[in-house]
Amino acid sequence: MRRRDFIAILGLALLGGAATVWRSFWQPRFNERTAQTVKVVTDLMFPGDGGLPGAIELKIHDRIIAMADLHETMAYGVGWLDSWAKTNGASNFLALDEGARSAAIDAAFASETEDARQFAVLLRYYGALNYYSEPQIKAAFPYTGPPQPEGFPDFQGPPQ
Amino acid sequence: MKSAAGWDAVIVGAGAGGAAAAYGLCRRGVSVLLLEAGPQFDPINDYPLTEANWELRDFPEKPGSTVSVTFAPGQKLTGTEPLLVSGSRGMGPVVTSGTRWMERYYHVRGVGGTTLHFTGESHRIHPDAMKMKSRFGVAADWPTYYAELEPFYTQAEELIGVAGPQTQGARWRSRGFPLPPHPLSYAAQTLGRGAAALGLDWQANSRAALSRAWNGRPPCNYCGGCNDGCPRGDKGSAEVTFVAAALATGRCVVRSDSPVLRIEVGPGDRVTGVLVGHPDGTIERVTSPHVILACGAVETPRLLLASDGLANESGEVGRNFMDTLGVTVGALHPDPQHARRGLPSDAICWDFNAPDAIPGVIGGFRMYNASGESELKGLAEFALRAVPGWGRAHAQSVRRVWGHALHVGAIGESLPNQHSRIDLDPDQRDRFGIPLARISASLDEPDVARLRFMATKARELLAASGADDIFETYSAWDWFGASHVFGTCRMGADPASSVINGDGRSHRWRNLWITDASVFPSSGGGEAPSLTIQALALRTTDKIGFDD
Repeated sequence: MRRRDFIAILGLALLGGAATVWRSFWQPRFNERTAQTVKVVTDLMFPGDGGLPGAIELKIHDRIIAMADLHETMAYGVGWLDSWAKTNGASNFLALDEGARSAAIDAAFASETEDARQFAVLLRYYGALNYYSEPQIKAAFPYTGPPQPEGFPDFQGPPQ
Repeated sequence: MKSAAGWDAVIVGAGAGGAAAAYGLCRRGVSVLLLEAGPQFDPINDYPLTEANWELRDFPEKPGSTVSVTFAPGQKLTGTEPLLVSGSRGMGPVVTSGTRWMERYYHVRGVGGTTLHFTGESHRIHPDAMKMKSRFGVAADWPTYYAELEPFYTQAEELIGVAGPQTQGARWRSRGFPLPPHPLSYAAQTLGRGAAALGLDWQANSRAALSRAWNGRPPCNYCGGCNDGCPRGDKGSAEVTFVAAALATGRCVVRSDSPVLRIEVGPGDRVTGVLVGHPDGTIERVTSPHVILACGAVETPRLLLASDGLANESGEVGRNFMDTLGVTVGALHPDPQHARRGLPSDAICWDFNAPDAIPGVIGGFRMYNASGESELKGLAEFALRAVPGWGRAHAQSVRRVWGHALHVGAIGESLPNQHSRIDLDPDQRDRFGIPLARISASLDEPDVARLRFMATKARELLAASGADDIFETYSAWDWFGASHVFGTCRMGADPASSVINGDGRSHRWRNLWITDASVFPSSGGGEAPSLTIQALALRTTDKIGFDD
């Protein structure tokens, strides 16, 4: 059990969910509003802190939106967020204020609806993977550079 | 079809066992053709550890470097095992299906084999673990003894340049390790204080990584990246040790990208050679007085079964499969550790390694500092796995606890059972039309009981070290991701219950030999197998006669 394949882990965690009932009568499409919603969710998830830029400033959302194989998941997820917003008195997710948007994302993570949970987990996964691999972010944390060619001469002592 | 001859022996597989067999034969003046299904890796250009995005890359895959296998359905998970559920605080459970996830057989095809990405622990098997049947009534006895293997362990350690401590308990030595032990990393020292508080021994692990320059190779610089491939050559993988030594004799030819498709037989209970596939799809016949198989415990039985059930007079080829019974626990320490600094698995506890060390459960295990090996190797993985949630609070937590993770791993005895085996997949074939190996693996209750005990001890060690905020566990209970596999061409004295004899030769086929972990009658109490494979291979090559 030595090699942790992140994608595989994620894939497995998301497998096995039965198709949700609402999928049977609703077929969303990825469009400009889907992309705008993904951008807003990415911003909320990785806003930057402690003087570090947020994901939007680093254009992390563009990398996620460019992942065509995730477009269907994004479209279903945004559809679920819009549905949640309507249940809570707004026309769609983008019409919510920031507090309500955060509540909607929390609800997506906690949802038993596979589309909602997949969307939330995937955005967190790809958002974090890209954001915390960004050189500008890594530079703010110790011991994040390539381990070779220097190795760790200080390995016996407390971190510098 | 082309034909080639001219070698005294053909070895199939250039990993730990094949490389050691090549060296063992070449030093006797024997000419060897070493065939490897996978490619030759270029450490400087292929391995990722100098790259800016190193943490997003793994040990590289090249054409032909991954093995294709299929899996029988995973075991249904019964009962609740709160200590053994794989998953992390940040990512949640790995398995939600109620069935053991048959994820992957972590095997590398290439010159050097799986040692290319191994951690490089260099262990001798516990002497008592070689007599599991007669002493404890499980598995099977090895048809040899530690004392007979000991000189070959010493030879292998000398060639590799193993760095280790003065003593290792029951593993008595005729000579000290060739190199002094590596200093313990800061994280290993932290865990060592916990071990001391629990009254556990905690010592430098014996490692196939150089603590000083050796045989023209540089010492380790403690980058922590052994599993991603060592670009310096200080890790003692097979291609920089045994293959290099075999080539230096001038009597060894290595052919990469040369999968063996079939073993051919002739009269007089002798094999005549092998059929080798080439990248262009052509097939070559290579004849040889001796054929030595060293493809590992999955591919060696596959090759035999695909050769019309060769050497399967006992029906044991592919049976007795034993996988990697492991658990890893990660926890946050109040103080920063940055535990990737240093040699992975640099410290070890052997206290539970004897087969009777666990109360009420047969089969031992060892615990080790798994901090460098858990592959929590970059900031992104840490942010995803160690810290739950999202948003500003998540970012603040990542900043606060980055570098605080410690991991303890435990690997234990895996016992054979009637359900765990390798056979040929009835539907899936490779590009040459050879059926793929199919892995069936399940755990019996004693294995699960051993895992529970291992997880409990790992947690206790972390807690005693001050790291009681557990954020992840990965275990073999719900996740098959084996790298150490054994037993599918068991060696034994009785031809009715084993595939090869105590010398490593087929009971029937007089010039067919096996030198990989498929011959292990028992897995040992969690010892890394490569050194034992190499010692057995050196011993077998001493037994091969060229006048019979």
